[in-house]
Amino acid sequence: MSRRLAHVLVSAAFAALVALAFSRVHYAWNWSAVWEYRDKFIQGWLTTVALSLAALVASTVIGAAAAVCLQSRHVIVEAIGRVYVELIRGTPLLVQLLIGFYVIANAIGLENRFVVGVLVLSLFSGAYMAEIFRGGLAAIPQTQRDSARAIGLTPWQSLRLVILPQAVRLVLPAVAGQLVSLVKDSSLLSVIAISEFTLNAQEVNAMTYSTLESFLPLAAGYLVLTLPLSALSRWLEGRFRYEA
Amino acid sequence: MKLEITGLTQRFGATTVLDQLVLATGDIQALVLVGPSGGGKSTLLRILAGLDVPVAGSVAFDGTILPRNEEALRLYRRSVGTVFQAYNLFPHLSALDNLLLPLVHVHGLSRQAAIDRVREPLERFHLSPHAHKRPAELSGGQKQRIAILRALVVQPRRIFLDEPTSALDPEMTAEVLEMIGELKALGTQFVLVTHEMGFARRAADDVAFIGEGRVLAHGTAGFMFDHCPEPRVRGFFDRIVA
Amino acid sequence: MLAVVACLALAAAAAPAAEPLRVGMELSYPPFEMTDPQGRPTGVSVRLAEALAKHLGRPLVIENISFDGLIPALKTGRIDCIISSLTATPERSKSIAFSEPYLRTGLAILVGSRSPVQSAADLDVKGRVIAVKKGTTGHHYATTALKQARTLVLDKENTAVLEVVQGKADAFIYDSLSIYQNHKRHPDTTRAILAPFREETWAVGLRQGDETLRGQVNDFLKAFHAAGGFERLGDEFLPEEKRAFRERGIPFYF
Repeated sequence: MSRRLAHVLVSAAFAALVALAFSRVHYAWNWSAVWEYRDKFIQGWLTTVALSLAALVASTVIGAAAAVCLQSRHVIVEAIGRVYVELIRGTPLLVQLLIGFYVIANAIGLENRFVVGVLVLSLFSGAYMAEIFRGGLAAIPQTQRDSARAIGLTPWQSLRLVILPQAVRLVLPAVAGQLVSLVKDSSLLSVIAISEFTLNAQEVNAMTYSTLESFLPLAAGYLVLTLPLSALSRWLEGRFRYEA
Repeated sequence: MKLEITGLTQRFGATTVLDQLVLATGDIQALVLVGPSGGGKSTLLRILAGLDVPVAGSVAFDGTILPRNEEALRLYRRSVGTVFQAYNLFPHLSALDNLLLPLVHVHGLSRQAAIDRVREPLERFHLSPHAHKRPAELSGGQKQRIAILRALVVQPRRIFLDEPTSALDPEMTAEVLEMIGELKALGTQFVLVTHEMGFARRAADDVAFIGEGRVLAHGTAGFMFDHCPEPRVRGFFDRIVA
Repeated sequence: MLAVVACLALAAAAAPAAEPLRVGMELSYPPFEMTDPQGRPTGVSVRLAEALAKHLGRPLVIENISFDGLIPALKTGRIDCIISSLTATPERSKSIAFSEPYLRTGLAILVGSRSPVQSAADLDVKGRVIAVKKGTTGHHYATTALKQARTLVLDKENTAVLEVVQGKADAFIYDSLSIYQNHKRHPDTTRAILAPFREETWAVGLRQGDETLRGQVNDFLKAFHAAGGFERLGDEFLPEEKRAFRERGIPFYF
């Protein structure tokens, strides 16, 4: 049996199980009401896409910067990186959002909740990225750096030509996982009233007095975002393999 | 090359690895460093290759003292070549790209000029069929030979080899040693750290025995292997050489 | 004699053990639904639920569920009824059934001290930002009636209040009692427009078709009212509010 066929069969079996569970809930389904509000779903989905893309880019940059700090020999610089990573990884995103928006952003007069939401989400994800990058950098044998130096490459050339290409290959699976998490974590931005996908779906539920109908489009909407990310990651891993 | 080392001291943390090491050679082609593990051979080689800076002392090749600041050392490193025990090659590049990298990015050759330059050495050492493979597809011996080539194609003044065969099985060890022997025949200057005593004896002009952070004995290959009075050296050879 | 005992024993064995009454509420709405410092549910609705359960002779189980999850929980059978300061609306009546109302109140507005809003009419103006709590009648009002203003949907009362306090929102639409309490808490940064611009009644939420329970609840509410139960609850939990509202001439009575 080919791998793709197996994937499809298992997915179908899983979907059947879920459908079975849904059918046993005694509940009056009202799909037309949900269809009426499809614009709200789409708007929310687009907002989630925008949030995720922005946070994706920002968190990669922040994570890379933090990883560099963590490797630094300057005590203060390393401390900044370490405190940032431990603090952010050790507290829930919910808490960071509430404090970030209602306390910190408020204090500095930053009013745009979309910007604050993206910032908080990026800082959150960036801390995990930093550890992923740091692990990737640490996994590169010291001889690689020695060889690069021995050839006479400048530190910047070493980084660009030798270290980063290897680090990228090493961290790709973990980074892809982190990006998928980011897309899903973006749903929490609803607590500061950002009109993203999950909140919009919940509003449709509330407005149509339905409960469960919105969940299926909701799950499907997220899968549309996360499955391509995973597929892209697997494809890149294949391209970057050391055996050509 | 004429090598002159005075008062060379190196420390890592609280450990002193090289202790006022002194060495002076005549104008030789091949210097081999031997001695027990942890005695300081590799540390010395790294300093000679311009990778590390000693805490004290000086090194001079043909009268030119090695600089101590990183910028100048980098320029020095561009003029020499270094081969380590393993993980020399960059795994994300093909063997050919590994060879081209220093030529293009450090020595400013165009890619085509670089390809032209490496063609003949690849042929000479029978490595052309492997040029487009990635290191993961090469045997240990092939990887080391490509690494040596990479050090050579930049036309260095001399090359440094730190136990290039220690991670290889006997067959691959032989093919790498054969290549180094060819280099000797071609006139390439090198400093080699090795445990391969048979090869050292054949290929070396001078042999220096490094132990306890110092040169315990130094002389021609013949002298060192057959007539060396230093008991620690005799004892070492007796144990190692069959 | 033996026969009588045997019959009684049989009768007792035949009568099933009373099934628990599962009441859903969101325990974050003092003084109606809240927890005491030890973490036990307490408040007006909790007392009401306790009295109802006693009246029905069933053990009480209180399920703490977030407000917008109450109707779903009722519909899927996870709870038997909702006693959570739930407003009876025509829209909700499409989904669930209601008992007779037990409290009259209305929607009021908590306004930021620097906002130009003076009354409900000022809400639907372009550029206004109105905060509401997800799933409430305030949320419903904002969705249906406020076309020009921007609506912020928050899932908790306290973040909605924070939005007004910090000037991020002009107003928060919620029930008059909570508006009063929140204004007391933030006297300098908010104003309260307590006169309800929409009157509402609270009732017990029930599944459509569950006529037995509905009848029982209505009987209970009548009896409870007649016995002065609501008066006692008002005195126990809302003495100050009762007085304050009466002074302002604002409707607030069971």
